[in-house]
Amino acid sequence: MVRAALTPTRRIGQAPSPYAAYVPAVTVVVATLLSALPIISTSGWYPDFGYLVFIGWRLLRADPWPAWWAAPLGFVNDLFTGYPVGFSVALWSATMLALDLIDRRTMWRDYRTEWVLAGVLIAIDEWLQWRVARLVDAAPPLSQMAPALIISICVFPLFAWFISRIDAWRLGR
Amino acid sequence: MATARPGWSRRAQYGLFFSFLAVIAGIVVGLILLTMSLVVPEQFDRVRGAALDITSPVTGGLHKVTATAEGLFSGAGNYWDAASQNAELKRERHAMLRRMVEAKAIFQENQQLKAVLELREHERSTVAVGRVVGSSFSSPRRFAILSAGTSDGVRIGMPVRSPEGLIGRIIDAGALASRVLLVSDRANIVPARLLRNGIPVIAQGRGDGTIDVRPLEVGRNPFKRGDIIITSGTGGLYPPLVPIGRVVRLDDDGAVALPLADPATISFAIVEPPFEPAAVAADAAASTAERP
Repeated sequence: MVRAALTPTRRIGQAPSPYAAYVPAVTVVVATLLSALPIISTSGWYPDFGYLVFIGWRLLRADPWPAWWAAPLGFVNDLFTGYPVGFSVALWSATMLALDLIDRRTMWRDYRTEWVLAGVLIAIDEWLQWRVARLVDAAPPLSQMAPALIISICVFPLFAWFISRIDAWRLGR
Repeated sequence: MATARPGWSRRAQYGLFFSFLAVIAGIVVGLILLTMSLVVPEQFDRVRGAALDITSPVTGGLHKVTATAEGLFSGAGNYWDAASQNAELKRERHAMLRRMVEAKAIFQENQQLKAVLELREHERSTVAVGRVVGSSFSSPRRFAILSAGTSDGVRIGMPVRSPEGLIGRIIDAGALASRVLLVSDRANIVPARLLRNGIPVIAQGRGDGTIDVRPLEVGRNPFKRGDIIITSGTGGLYPPLVPIGRVVRLDDDGAVALPLADPATISFAIVEPPFEPAAVAADAAASTAERP
C-alpha cells in the first residue's frame, strides 16, 4: 500500500471502478458458479473454487466486503455446489472471524505466511466436508481426501495472483 | 473489522462491535441451517431446485462444446490400429450373433414360463430422458446434474439409468434440471446380485468413482475379476436386471467394481418411476415413524 502510493503510476482519468466495492463479492459468486461447468468428475479432485477465491480476497485485504456478507455468499455457494445448506454459511463466517483474530496477532505478513494460512484453512474446509459427509454415513476414508487437498493448496497461489490482478483493476491502479 | 482499535470515534467502535456480532450471527445461522439440512433435508428442496434451474442453461449449453471436443479426441484415437480392431470386432460380432439367437430362444421360453406362472409383468415406462451435464467437483459426495426436471415429470427418489447401466437416483429436482446421487456415492446402497450365479450382494459407492460390493452371506468371497453386478430389484426402488458395475479388484471379503455407466461418457440418462412405489412408500413411512 505504502510503496504503491510513493510511486504514482496512475494516469489521468484512471479512477477506481464505480462498482469497486462489489467486485470482490461478485468474483466469489462467479467462482462458485464454476461448479456449473459441464465437467464430470468421478474422483472429486477439483478445488472448492468459491472458498479459494473467498480466502484469497480476505488474505489480500482486511475489508474486501462487510463481514456479514460472508453468510449470504456462503449460502450461494451451498446452493450451487450441492453442499448441505448452511455448511459454507457457517464456515465462511467463521473464516472471517478467525482471520480477524489472526490479523490482531500477526506483526507482519509475507507471501509464504499467507500460503501456509490458506493451506490450513483449505485443510479445515476439506476436513469439515468429510466430517459432515460422515454424519450422513457418506464419508470415504480420510486418506481419499488427500489428493483434493494437495491440489487445492497447490493452485491457491494462482488464485491469489489472479485476485491481486482483479484488485488492481478495480482500484484503477 | 480491519484493525483492533479504530481510534477514539464512538461510531467506529460501535461499527466494529456490530460487525463482530453480525459474523457470530452468521456462524450461528449457518450451523442452524446445516443441522436442518442434515436432519430434514426436504426443507430445502425448493430452493435447491431453483438454484439448479438458474445454472442449467449454462451447463447444458457448454456441455455440447465439451462433448464435441471429447468426441474429436476419441474419434482420432479410433484410427490407430484400425485394421486389427476391425478383425477383432468382426470376430466379436460373430460370437454375439450366436449368443443373440440363443438369447431370443431363452426369452421366448421365459415368456411362456411366466405365462404359466401368471407372473405380473411390469410395464417399463420412461419418465424422462436427459443428459448428464455436470457433477459435484470437490466434496466427498458424488452427485451429477441431469438436464431434466419436474417439468418433465422427474420427482425426487426416482431411479436413473442409461442403456449401459445404473446411474443413481434423483435427490434434488428443479423445473429444468435435477441432481442425481450417483451409485459411486457412499450414501447410495443398491441391493444387487452377481450375474454369473445370482448370489445376492450389496453395492455401495466408495466416493471416488468406484463401487464396493459385498456378499450378503458371510463366507467365501464369491467374486472373480470381470464379474458383472446387476440390480436385484429388492427394496422396490431400482428395477431389477440393470447392470451396475464390473469387478476390477478383489479384497478380503468383497470386491471393488467400476460402474458400467460412466457418468462422464454416457450420452443419455433415462429417469424411470420407482420400480415398486408401494414398497418404497412403506419404507419411507417406516423410517419417518422411527425418527423422533
